[in-house]
Amino acid sequence: MAILVDKNTRVLVQGITGRLGRLQTKMMLEYGTKIVAGVTPGRGGETVFGVPVYDSVEEAMKEHEIDASILYVPATSMKEAAFEAMEAGIKFMVIITDWVPVHDALEIKALAKELGVRYIGPNSPGITIPGETKLGMIHTVTPGNIGIVSRSGTLTAEISNLLTNAGLGQSAVLGIGGDPVVGLRLKEVVKLFEEDEHTKAITIIGEIGGTMEEEAAEYIKKHVTKPVVAFIAGRTAPPEKRMGHAGAIIARGRGTAASKIQTLNQAGVEVAETPWELPSLIRRLL
Amino acid sequence: MRLYEHEAKAILKKFGISVPQSRLIYDLAGVGEAFIDINKPIVLKAQILAGGRGKAGGIRFAKDPEEAEREAAQLFRAEIKGCKITKILVEEKLNIVKELYLGVTIDNTRGTPVVMASSEGGVDIEDVAAKTPEKIALLHPNILRGVREYEIRRLIKQTGLGGEMLTEVSSILWRLYDIFRIYDAEIVEINPLVITAEGKVVAADARMNIDDHALFRHPELETLKQERFENPLEQEGQKRGVNFANLKGDVAVMGNGAGLVMSLLDAVKAAGGQPACFLDTGGGLSVERVENALDLLLMKANLDPDVKAIFFAFWFMISPAEEVTKGFLNVISNRKPQIPIIGVIQGVGADRAVGILEKAGITCFPTIEEGVKAAVKVR
Repeated sequence: MAILVDKNTRVLVQGITGRLGRLQTKMMLEYGTKIVAGVTPGRGGETVFGVPVYDSVEEAMKEHEIDASILYVPATSMKEAAFEAMEAGIKFMVIITDWVPVHDALEIKALAKELGVRYIGPNSPGITIPGETKLGMIHTVTPGNIGIVSRSGTLTAEISNLLTNAGLGQSAVLGIGGDPVVGLRLKEVVKLFEEDEHTKAITIIGEIGGTMEEEAAEYIKKHVTKPVVAFIAGRTAPPEKRMGHAGAIIARGRGTAASKIQTLNQAGVEVAETPWELPSLIRRLL
Repeated sequence: MRLYEHEAKAILKKFGISVPQSRLIYDLAGVGEAFIDINKPIVLKAQILAGGRGKAGGIRFAKDPEEAEREAAQLFRAEIKGCKITKILVEEKLNIVKELYLGVTIDNTRGTPVVMASSEGGVDIEDVAAKTPEKIALLHPNILRGVREYEIRRLIKQTGLGGEMLTEVSSILWRLYDIFRIYDAEIVEINPLVITAEGKVVAADARMNIDDHALFRHPELETLKQERFENPLEQEGQKRGVNFANLKGDVAVMGNGAGLVMSLLDAVKAAGGQPACFLDTGGGLSVERVENALDLLLMKANLDPDVKAIFFAFWFMISPAEEVTKGFLNVISNRKPQIPIIGVIQGVGADRAVGILEKAGITCFPTIEEGVKAAVKVR
């Protein structure tokens, strides 16, 4: 196992019969992901690309050994679906859907803490262990020893691709989600990479808003021995303009690109000015 | 979505929290009547969605009808913090003895709500938070359990209140937490909560932001969303389901995903250009959304002669690119753009999409780095 999942991870897809769930199930199966079951209430007994569908997580768990669930459920019912998974005993979740209400995200976080569940998202592109498995939509195929952790979706794909094209394969690529309240935080994933024997260097893709990069920087300064590089999106964003993500708001002087870059630099992290500088930066440190 | 003061106060009132006697006026004709109805002297408060209103001259006082009309006329003509004033809240002036601060918001770092109280309410609460954080009492409740009234009383006691005021203010903060939960608020704040010379406790100002993603649970508020935008293009973006922020510059920028688009803006600037806007189409792209997005950029280019080029970058992680980018062709044949459109398409089905787009006159580059450089060169 690189981090969190590997080729043996048995996966449940919640919302498997929806347009996105179906499309993604096909792509994940083609990649080699071990999808053992799906859930859509009211659609029990059907199959999606050969994967059996159940009415509830509980029923799926009775028939299969399941290690993780990936959720493509609409935002309006995400809380119910995540609660169902956690209360049925799922210990790792990937929440892909965006536009999940922040109060629902708070409740998911509180229950996860209570039940000892780890999860990434909401608004996450997923996690991919190149050559082994992918839960979500990050299509990285070249294994290697760079770990990428990101707050973004498409920018993660872009940077993973830049690294791959430069001959730098990856141990794991994951997006923790672009929302203000998410499961695993940057710091926690950096810790996983530090402890992972397959990872030799860590790439952080951050963005303005929130304090996760600052938090990660403090952790790196104290505990991380591996080289770390970073890119922070939004360094030229005008203050107080909302740039799409609920998380990407600069206010009251905190969460600015400048504050993030400064604290990362102080922790010995090299911060690239553009994404395409990252490959050469990593090469120098390896 | 940020609510206007008068909207937030209407919600407080519904929950039994006292607010000043008031009337909302939209023009000078309303001033006279408002003056008769309300206890004198009065306060005229510009209703805008920006903070720091008082220091910027958005709050005026009046003792007689003439003064009220003069001040109202000035406010309706003024622009405060870049906002035009279309409505004024006329209120009774309170006899302030003490100003408190009460608030409930989300602590992103902990991933919990946070309930806040301070005896140092008023305009400088942010200074208090920065310089003397110990003067703000905090409580981080477990959202699944909620808060008990005794926990709130313990919090209020830390601010130095006792006796009847302890229970009265606690009860207000307890209800504020209910409002936070019921309305899916990102923040709900009473600042200041005023204790008057007559011994009353009144919410003199209120701030409330509702989570946009939860508006489906609040259909009565959803209609308010449309009028929140100062820029007509930003309002149009909201209608079309894309995130659009208007900026001043020469390259109009679009992409799918906030992080990606922010990095495009940074790249345009680093290459010597100025981004003219931020447009994020969001995930799960459809032909319709892509059409709407490019069409909005061309509207922007028509209105703003500074815009010299359009630059976009799309990463197709799920849907095949060629299916979605068809939307561009319709827009181009309808709008016949006068400025160059430069793009980068990557991911599923990118090669086929590039072939289609180039035939329509869009210049595609294999990498964002090259695309941005070309877009910035257009003069």
